[in-house]
Amino acid sequence: MQLRVRIALTFSLLLVAVIAATLVAVSAANRSNADREVNRQLDLGALVFGRALEANRRQLAQAAQVLAADFGFREAVATHDADTQESALENHGARIGAQLGVLVAPDGTVMASTSSDARPGTLFAYHSLLSSSTAPVSSVVAERGHVYQLVVVPVRSPLLVAWVAMGFTLDEAALKELQSVTGLEVTLQSAGGVVALSTLSVDARNAVIAGSADWVTRSVPLTADVRGPRALLSRSLKEALAPFATLTRVLVGIAIVALLLSAAAVLLLARQIAAPLQALTRVIDRIRGGDYHATVPVQRADEIGAVAEGLRTMQDAVSARDDAIRDLAYRDTLTGLRNRVAFTQDVDSRLAQANGRIAVALVNVDRFRRINEALGYAAGDAVLRAWGRRLADVGEHAFAARLAADHFAVATFVADEPEARAWGQALHALLSPGVTIDGQTIDVRATVGVALSGESGTTADLLLRCADAAVERARRAKREFALYEGRLDDANRAQLSLWGELQRAIARDELRLFLQPKCRLTDGAPAGAEVLLRWQHPERGLLAPVHFIPFAEQTGLIRNLTQWTLEHSVALIARWQREGYRLPVSVNVSALDLAREDLPERVKSLLDASGLAPALLTLEITESGFIDDPAHALHVLDALAALGVGLSIDDFGTGYSSLGYLARMPVQELKIDRSFVVELGRPDMAAVVRSAIQLAQRLEMRTVAEGIEDEAAARTLRELGCDYGQGWHYAKPMAVADYEAWMKTRVVALDASNVPDNAIREARPAAV
Amino acid sequence: MPRLAGRIAASLMAAMCLAHAAGAATLQVKAHDTTGAALTDLVVVLDPVDGSHPRGAPHAAAHATIDQVSRTFVPRVSVIQSGTVVQFPNSDRIRHQVYSFSPAKTFTLKLYAGKDAPPIAFEKAGLVVLGCNIHDTMIAYVAVVDTPYFARTGADGTARIDAPAGRYRVRVWHPELASAVPARSFVLDTAGGTLDLAYALAPAGGAVPGFPE
Repeated sequence: MQLRVRIALTFSLLLVAVIAATLVAVSAANRSNADREVNRQLDLGALVFGRALEANRRQLAQAAQVLAADFGFREAVATHDADTQESALENHGARIGAQLGVLVAPDGTVMASTSSDARPGTLFAYHSLLSSSTAPVSSVVAERGHVYQLVVVPVRSPLLVAWVAMGFTLDEAALKELQSVTGLEVTLQSAGGVVALSTLSVDARNAVIAGSADWVTRSVPLTADVRGPRALLSRSLKEALAPFATLTRVLVGIAIVALLLSAAAVLLLARQIAAPLQALTRVIDRIRGGDYHATVPVQRADEIGAVAEGLRTMQDAVSARDDAIRDLAYRDTLTGLRNRVAFTQDVDSRLAQANGRIAVALVNVDRFRRINEALGYAAGDAVLRAWGRRLADVGEHAFAARLAADHFAVATFVADEPEARAWGQALHALLSPGVTIDGQTIDVRATVGVALSGESGTTADLLLRCADAAVERARRAKREFALYEGRLDDANRAQLSLWGELQRAIARDELRLFLQPKCRLTDGAPAGAEVLLRWQHPERGLLAPVHFIPFAEQTGLIRNLTQWTLEHSVALIARWQREGYRLPVSVNVSALDLAREDLPERVKSLLDASGLAPALLTLEITESGFIDDPAHALHVLDALAALGVGLSIDDFGTGYSSLGYLARMPVQELKIDRSFVVELGRPDMAAVVRSAIQLAQRLEMRTVAEGIEDEAAARTLRELGCDYGQGWHYAKPMAVADYEAWMKTRVVALDASNVPDNAIREARPAAV
Repeated sequence: MPRLAGRIAASLMAAMCLAHAAGAATLQVKAHDTTGAALTDLVVVLDPVDGSHPRGAPHAAAHATIDQVSRTFVPRVSVIQSGTVVQFPNSDRIRHQVYSFSPAKTFTLKLYAGKDAPPIAFEKAGLVVLGCNIHDTMIAYVAVVDTPYFARTGADGTARIDAPAGRYRVRVWHPELASAVPARSFVLDTAGGTLDLAYALAPAGGAVPGFPE
């Protein structure tokens, strides 16, 4: 229930309760007053009624006594002079207006009468009234619908000789008079309870006799005998309450008006309380929705005003804290630029706006590691801050972020590829000036890769990866800038899905280790194997490396693949080692792996965990691993060599490796690329291969030829002095179980002696 | 009263002598009510039966007196032989007006004081009720009988009637008798007789029983 309604209801109910209580009290008081009044009236009425009867009685008694004492009348009685008796009765009755005058003989017969109700000679109807007592006897009697108040006195001369009865008729006129005097309804009942006369209607008198609650009745006995006739004096309670009912109606009217007025007033008051509360609630809703700039619309000096003020303060505080948190979440603390999350969000929101194309530039600091190593991390940070400052203000619609250690990203709107290209080059130019630290200017170079959004469906993530690929391409091409030129929209969406699938493949162990044996050229004896990767794709079946390795190298996923391969290979060789076989294995390591500082550490922890002899593991690296940062690569190779693992240069002859570095590398093996071996028939190729073999021999490296497909090639290589070979001529790459089976047959076929041991001894003369 | 008693005693002695001479006898009456109290003012009348002896002349005084003392008739009850003349002296200082509507004797005296009222002769036998027109409470009863043999009991409830021995009808009357006592036969022999009478009385003010015929 709303507060407003609740307040209004509470007060109204309270008021209703008070009014109801008042009404009940007044009503009860009225009722009690009316009761008291009616009872008082009845008391008074009964008194008046009694007095009237008494007055009548006295009048009758007096008249009767006067008559009875009259000597002449007594004489008339004594002498049985009926005419005189009757005329005397009439005469005295007329004096007081008595309707009945009867002379009764001592034996109870009527001697004379003025009324047809008592004929001479008949028995006097009210025999019980005849008494020898000198005092008048009075009563009220009802006979044949007539009600009389009778007074009987004896006539003595001097003994009792007769009775004189004098009576008034109690007729309707008499009752009406009584009614007008007392204000009461009068009903006369005969001894049997039969109604003789009444001022009431038949229904009303029945109600009175039945004791209805509408009537208050006082029953007055008319004679000494309680079973005798009675007068019922009644007052209608309804009538008595009528004036009070008017009062009650007025009170109810006042109550209703008061209730309405107070309800209106309370509603108004409640509105004054509730309306600002509702306004505050709306503000709170906005704050909850993240809008901290809502104005709090309540300005009051009361408690609600205090709440509003509190809300204002709280909004500011929450807003400030929110900004701080946002800052922490979305800002790079070193440079003050956006971080990756903020950058990705902002680019995505601009992509969603879709007005124009978005160009994303990825900026890498060249040889940043060297700066850290040579000048310290403080200098590195200074360089990053300096670049951050330059990138912070790159244009009206452009914005920059620092994504990772030495990776910056910038995004802007561009119209087309030429504009994107120009923008990328401008960025590069912006970063070209050296950075001055402590008065010393350091020459820091940037490599910039730019990716441009397509028509639709591009994401910030995809743009960044494409820009990354562009950087990679620029580096390979030894250039400062490259624009990603692939189609982003379709091909890259496919690649995007491949990227997800490959990640999943690693997580779900869909990858398989395949092994291609490496054999000694002189006798074909097995001398280890190169680990190759297959992808057991749930839909596409077993995939060769060419379908996913280049993509993995492009996207950086190759690191995850290398890690997986290393883990499983080490586990495999360790198992063999535990089973008593020493079968050396070579694992390919990408240029990206080599670029990372932690490769030696990872290899070491794997070796430590498995207890594998390091010599059984050889890492094959490509020449491209040296291009970016040969010094760093050399550093990593040294660390790996220190662990005791073997090192081999893969695909020798295809890259642009510096021969100078080659001499300094702690490498024991050189693998001649298959492209030379398959064209060994050409004299010039044969010359190149011979030179490579001779170079290896000079550098005390053994040589391994890849892609030997027939005996002719094997023979030629043997003649050229190559040590080992691998290819279909010897064995195809095979699954682990197949390799194990193959090895066993070869061992049995060759010699019962410890072939693996020999193999390793032969394979690693330098390490033994 | 001693004087009166003495006189009655003397009269009785004389009567006994007389009765004895002509066969006279004395009837001793003793009356009381049902509570045993002496019954005063009981009228006892002996009517000779069968003419066994003549009615004779009234032996009692032909004059009687009913005084009015302190608004009371004295005596309250009188019994007289018909023909007796009654004097109504007024001993009160106030005046009285004596009347009777009784059929046996109807009369009205004028308002009087002292001895101004003329004597009234009661010729006819019957019960005469006297009243005073001024004072309703004054009532006197005069039993008028045709026989000389009657008496009224005194304060001690006794009376004595001297009459010749013979057969009589005895009538008794009292204003407060609960009911009229019928006449009965009685033989008075020469040795005299005794009537020991007891009657129930009604409260005063009630109906007065009729005088037996």
